[in-house]
Amino acid sequence: MLDMIIIDGLSFALPLFIMAIGGIYSEKSGVTNLALEGFQGFGAFTGAFAVVYLAGIFGTGSQIPYYAGFVCAVIGGGIFALLHALLCIRFKADQVISGVVMNILAMALTSFLTKSINASVFGSSANKFTLGASTRITIPGLSDIPVVGAVFRDIYPFEIIIVIAALVMWYVLYRTAYGMRLRACGDNPHSADAAGINVYAVRTVAVFISGCLSGIAGLSFAYSVSANFSPDIYLGYGYLSIAALIFGNWSILPSLFACLIFGFARSGGAAIIHQLGLPSAYNDLVRILPYVLTLLLLVFFSKHNHSPRALGQVYDKGRR
Amino acid sequence: MKKLFLSCLAIVISLLFGALILWLMGKDPVAAYMNLLQGSGLMHKVKYAGRQSMFTDFMSFIDAMTPMIFASLSVALALKGGFFNIGVSGQMLAAGIAAHMLSGVIPSRVLVVLAGFLAGAVVGALIGWLKCRFNVNEVVSSIMLNSVIMYLVTFYINVFYINPVSRQSKSIADAARLTLNGYRWENLKMDIPLAFPLAVITALFLHWVLERTTYGYEVKATGLSPKAAYYAGMNVNRTALMTMTLSGALAGLAGVSYFCGYLAAIQPGVTPSMGFDAIAVSLLGGNNPVGCVLASFLITIISKGTVYMSSRQHIEPEIASLITAFILTFAACSAVLDRRKK
Repeated sequence: MLDMIIIDGLSFALPLFIMAIGGIYSEKSGVTNLALEGFQGFGAFTGAFAVVYLAGIFGTGSQIPYYAGFVCAVIGGGIFALLHALLCIRFKADQVISGVVMNILAMALTSFLTKSINASVFGSSANKFTLGASTRITIPGLSDIPVVGAVFRDIYPFEIIIVIAALVMWYVLYRTAYGMRLRACGDNPHSADAAGINVYAVRTVAVFISGCLSGIAGLSFAYSVSANFSPDIYLGYGYLSIAALIFGNWSILPSLFACLIFGFARSGGAAIIHQLGLPSAYNDLVRILPYVLTLLLLVFFSKHNHSPRALGQVYDKGRR
Repeated sequence: MKKLFLSCLAIVISLLFGALILWLMGKDPVAAYMNLLQGSGLMHKVKYAGRQSMFTDFMSFIDAMTPMIFASLSVALALKGGFFNIGVSGQMLAAGIAAHMLSGVIPSRVLVVLAGFLAGAVVGALIGWLKCRFNVNEVVSSIMLNSVIMYLVTFYINVFYINPVSRQSKSIADAARLTLNGYRWENLKMDIPLAFPLAVITALFLHWVLERTTYGYEVKATGLSPKAAYYAGMNVNRTALMTMTLSGALAGLAGVSYFCGYLAAIQPGVTPSMGFDAIAVSLLGGNNPVGCVLASFLITIISKGTVYMSSRQHIEPEIASLITAFILTFAACSAVLDRRKK
């Protein structure tokens, strides 16, 4: 039972984590990003479409569609994110409103396109792309360690992708010139500009990256939660990851901690319900846990948090 | 005046965009848009089923529009006060379930409205309190509350309040329902939305409050600049709390007119999308109460007329929410044009 909690908890926490990193990139550069929910949904949509389409070409046994799907999810999420960048940076729209608009647009667009594509390309009237179960990897040797070994058992391949991506993203944000410029744009865009940094470009790239990372998360959720893409993917996980990054004080490692709490609260609660033999309706009570936890954590930490200083402010070159 | 122009511009561009999509799908955009009007009872259909006419269609259109007016007023008031109330859906659900529970004890329309008003106000006040006392971002907290309320309501319905046939909650008693369902008049059978006059009066009253009272002035001042309002001697926290409470109460009224009027039951596991569409409506109406009524009228044409359009033109009904989303996107951009030219 402990194994199940660890395995399920990790497969939920890691996609949340990579999305939170995306949010950190965007917000550290000074662009409020409530659109993560929409980014992950759109990324999941493009990825799932690629998987289903390529599975028709390579056959269902092949592993190529799986990985190509993730590439497409990254591209799709990124391109959709550029729309948010366009509204926030070029058109100087209110970033909160733009974020919510992006979510609504993503939801409407993907449910419409899923149905239309199913009707015209695959000749079915379903409102979802069925992905099929993901393969699971168990690392021999490591997985035999008691308790901790569960971390290496039944891993979704996407969890490995996420760990690698997270390491790279951590390095870029804290150890490269671009990362430093990005953080400067979020704290004091005017001095960044004076130092010769193109604030608009840095922010646009940051929002693009947040879309790419959310795309990975979206397709991961599509695989792990329901094994298909349907409009049901908009369950508010994007907002959960925003809560995680606020709780993590806009830095990557503490956010991982927050995501793990969410993941284990969820899988632990489900395990308890299962253990007590309660009917499945009681699962709904458990699903509340991460959200209530988030609220409580925010109550305790919001006062002491230091958001990037220029977060949410439209950068206007002509203003000081 | 300029706001009106920008709103109209957003609508026209979005409708053209929608027409382009319809055209690309090989449909006739003009016929499709006419179907929207016909489905809303604003134009004559080719033929009607027995006991139905353009008038009965129009009455059910008004029935669908009533909760939308309340919901958009809720968003508009919050925005005026500097809050972004994205929790309308959750507040609607809370109000709906509270009214359902109360009507099971005493079936009365007045009590249903009161229960909805209070339940929504409590949720709104909680969000406002978290913001004022603990500085919790209202967008995040209201989204968390949306999920919490949705799962609680789902749990309650599935365990205690299910109608096993429809897989929805039990229906509300007719004596407590805010819509007279299947009312016979002459040879017609129609739905009469009793809450509609209340919605219009509320909109006018809110307009008066915002333009003509001290409280309204304080709301707007706090929304524009909390610091300036504070230095002018206003009690910023109290105003903000009051605004969120009232906004929640309006969302509660939307909830009861939706779940105990337009519909008679609550579907478990779903947050009403109306709470999010209301943001579009409010932006489109320029956050003005009267503008909200007009914008509700327009958006309801799209959402209500779609059923008829999709059956006539064989288009996925999802196109309605797509066009609404376009309107929202362009409305967000037009707010920008407005600011830039100042």
